[in-house]
Amino acid sequence: MITVNNRDELSWHDGMTVQDILDVMGYTYVLIMVTVNGVLVHSEDYSGTKVPDEADVRVIHIMHGG
Amino acid sequence: MIMADKISIVINGKPREIPEGTFLLDAVRKEGITVPTLCHHKDLMPSGTCRLCICEIEVRGKKKLVTACNYPVREPLEVWTDSETVTRHRRILAEMYLGRWPNVRAVREIAGLCGVSESRFKGRYTEEDPQSCILCGHCVRACREFALERILDFAGRGIHRHIAMPFNEVDPHCIGCTSCAYVCPTGAIQIVDDLNQPVDPQMIRDHGMKVNAEMANLDPVQCRMREVGTANIVDVMNQYDLLPVKNYKYGSHPEVWKIDSKMLKAKYFTQNMPDGCWKGCSMACAKTIDDFELRTGPYKGQKVCVDGPEYETAAGGSNMGCFDADFIAEFNFYCDTYGIDTISAATTIAFVMECFENGVIDTGVTGGLELNFGSGDEVLELLHQMARGEGFGVDVGQGIRWLKDKWENEYGADRKFMDDIGMETKGLEVSEYVTKESLAQQCGYGMAIKGPQHDEAWLIFMDMVNNELPTYEHKAEALHYFPLWRTWFGLYGLCKLCWNDVVPADNKMTSEPQKVPDHVNNYFKFVEGMTGIKLDEQKMLDQSARVYNLQRVMSRMLGYGTRRDDYMPYRALGPVTAEEYESRQDRYDKQLREIVGVDPEGRSTSEKIKILRDYREDQYDKTVSVVYRRRGWDDNGVPTVERLKELGIDLPELVAIVEKNRG
Repeated sequence: MITVNNRDELSWHDGMTVQDILDVMGYTYVLIMVTVNGVLVHSEDYSGTKVPDEADVRVIHIMHGG
Repeated sequence: MIMADKISIVINGKPREIPEGTFLLDAVRKEGITVPTLCHHKDLMPSGTCRLCICEIEVRGKKKLVTACNYPVREPLEVWTDSETVTRHRRILAEMYLGRWPNVRAVREIAGLCGVSESRFKGRYTEEDPQSCILCGHCVRACREFALERILDFAGRGIHRHIAMPFNEVDPHCIGCTSCAYVCPTGAIQIVDDLNQPVDPQMIRDHGMKVNAEMANLDPVQCRMREVGTANIVDVMNQYDLLPVKNYKYGSHPEVWKIDSKMLKAKYFTQNMPDGCWKGCSMACAKTIDDFELRTGPYKGQKVCVDGPEYETAAGGSNMGCFDADFIAEFNFYCDTYGIDTISAATTIAFVMECFENGVIDTGVTGGLELNFGSGDEVLELLHQMARGEGFGVDVGQGIRWLKDKWENEYGADRKFMDDIGMETKGLEVSEYVTKESLAQQCGYGMAIKGPQHDEAWLIFMDMVNNELPTYEHKAEALHYFPLWRTWFGLYGLCKLCWNDVVPADNKMTSEPQKVPDHVNNYFKFVEGMTGIKLDEQKMLDQSARVYNLQRVMSRMLGYGTRRDDYMPYRALGPVTAEEYESRQDRYDKQLREIVGVDPEGRSTSEKIKILRDYREDQYDKTVSVVYRRRGWDDNGVPTVERLKELGIDLPELVAIVEKNRG
C-alpha cells in the first residue's frame, strides 16, 4: 500500500512507477511536482522511477489560473 | 501527462540516458563538456547559424557532422565533441570569425577556446569596431520569441548580410521592449533612452526578460497561455470534477469536448496567434474569433469579431448546460457588446434554469421562455431582453439576490431552496468553479471582500487535491497570505498572470513552490527598479493589509463586512439535492464513513445529505473563526482597533465604525 498526498491509499504492485500513480489518480495537470519519500522526481523520470511499497508519495499541483 | 522516453547515447565514450528530443548540445553540456557557440542563447530557440557547436555523431553505423545546438536526439547515437574532424572545422570557423570581427570580445573568447589567436582572413571586410554586429541572430529571435513581433530581421546577402528593420526605416510597430538589446552579445544594439525615468532600468529589464524567456520556452509545455489563453483551464477543471455544470450541481460532463480548449483552438480561435491585452505583453493570452456570424439579436447575420472566450465565459456555458461553442461565442459577443458581465449573467441564468426545472417559476414568470438547462436560444433571447430593458430580462438583470426576494414575496417561492442553490454572496454571483470538495476555496469565495470572485484566493488544488492545508490553521494562513498578495497586484496595477500562469523550471526546488518565490521577487524588483523602494514579503503584506482592512471597513459602511455576509449558499459546500448526492455517492458515502464517522449503510439519501450538511457547515463556521483571528479581526469579522493601529490606519472615523460593529 502506498499513500498519495497523505490521504489517498493505493494498492502497490511490483514495478509500480510514478507515472502509473499519476495515471491511476487521473492527474493530468501540467504544473505538478512529485516527491517519493521526500525525494523530488523530475518529470522526465516519471516512467522510469519505481515506487517502493509503503511509499509516501506527494503530487503537488502548483496553482495557476484563478 | 505524457513523459518523454529515454534514449541511450554515448558521449565521448561514456554511456548516458537522456530524454528523447533533448538537443545534443544540452546533453553534452550537462556532462560538463565545453562546446563553443556564438549564436546559441539559453533562452532562445537554437538556430545552428554559427556552426561552432559542430559535433561528430554515429547513427545506425553512419558518421556525420551535425550542429549540436539544434540536433534533437531521437534515436541512440554516439557523439564525439572534440574529434580531429570537429576540431579542424571549429578552428577554421573561429579563424574566419576572428578575421571579420577581430576586436569583438565574444569572438576573441571563442577563438581562444578553439586555440586560435590570429586569423589569415583579415582584409577589406574586417570590422574593427569592438561592438560590431556578428550576425548571431539573437535579436531577430528575441523579437519573435519574446515580443512576438518581427521588427528585426536579416537583410542583404553574403558579405552584405546585416540586421535591419523593414526598408531600413524605424518601424513604428517597435515599442522599445529592449529584448533585442538584452540578448545582443556585443553591444551592437544599445538602449539610448529610458522612458518614465526609472531608478534602475537594468533591474527592471533583468527581471522582465526572465519572464519573457519563460514564456518563450516554458509556456508551450505549461499552461499554453499564448496558444489558447485561459481556456486551457476548461479541460483541467473537467478532469478534476471542478467545472461547473448545471448551476454547480456537477463538476464534469461528457460533452465538454464541444467547448474545451482543443475545440476552441481548432475551430474558433481563427487568429490562432498570441494576442496581448497591450502591445509588448509576452504572455499574450487574449484570444479572438474572427468573422463569427451571429444568428440572433440586433446584429443578426453580421460577421463580427469575438474577444474570447476566456475560461470563465466557456465555463459559464457549461454552468447553463450549454455545451455548444457557437452559443458561447455569441453569448460572449453580446455580453461584451451590451456591457454585461459574462460571469454574473451565466451564474444568474443557471440559477433561473434550475428554478425553472424545479417548478419554482414557470413560463408565466419567464414570459414564455422555456428556460431548461441547455436552451441556448432562450438564453440569448433573455440576454437581448436584459439589454433592451424588456420582459423577463429586466428581472434577471437584477441578479440572484433580487430574484430570490421577488419570487419569495410575489410567488411564495421556497426561500430555503433558493438560498441553497442561488450562487451569490454579498449580492455578487459566484465565478465558475465548483468548490464542494475544498473548504479553503469555499472560504476563499465566501470571505472575499467584494463577493465570491476567485482573484483573492484560489486554493482548490492546494486544498482539495494536494491536501496541503489539512488544518484550520493551514487554511487560515493561506486565506491570510494569498488575498493580501493578490490585493497587492491591484495596489500597483500589475497583471497577476505572469506570477503563476508560467513558473520557472526550477520552481519545484524552492521551499514554497505555491508562492512561486522567484516571480514574487520579480514584482518586488519591478517596483524597486522603478521607484527605488526595496520590498520584501513582510513589507508587501503590510502595504496590502492596509488597503485590505480599509476595504473591509468600507464594506461595513456599505452595509456588509460582517460574519453573516461571509457565508456561502450550501450548493458551494455540498450536495443540495438527491440527484447531486447520488451522482457522487461513492465519494460522499466514503466521507461519511471515514471523516464524519457515520455508517451510511441503510440510510436514505436525504438523511445522508443532512448529516453531511451539518458536518460541512460546522467545518465552514470553524474555519471562518480561525481566519478572522489570523487576519486580526474579531469574531464578527470586523477588524479590531488594535489591527487598525498596527497598520497605521486607526483614523477616528474608521475606529468609530469598528467600535460600533464589534462582535
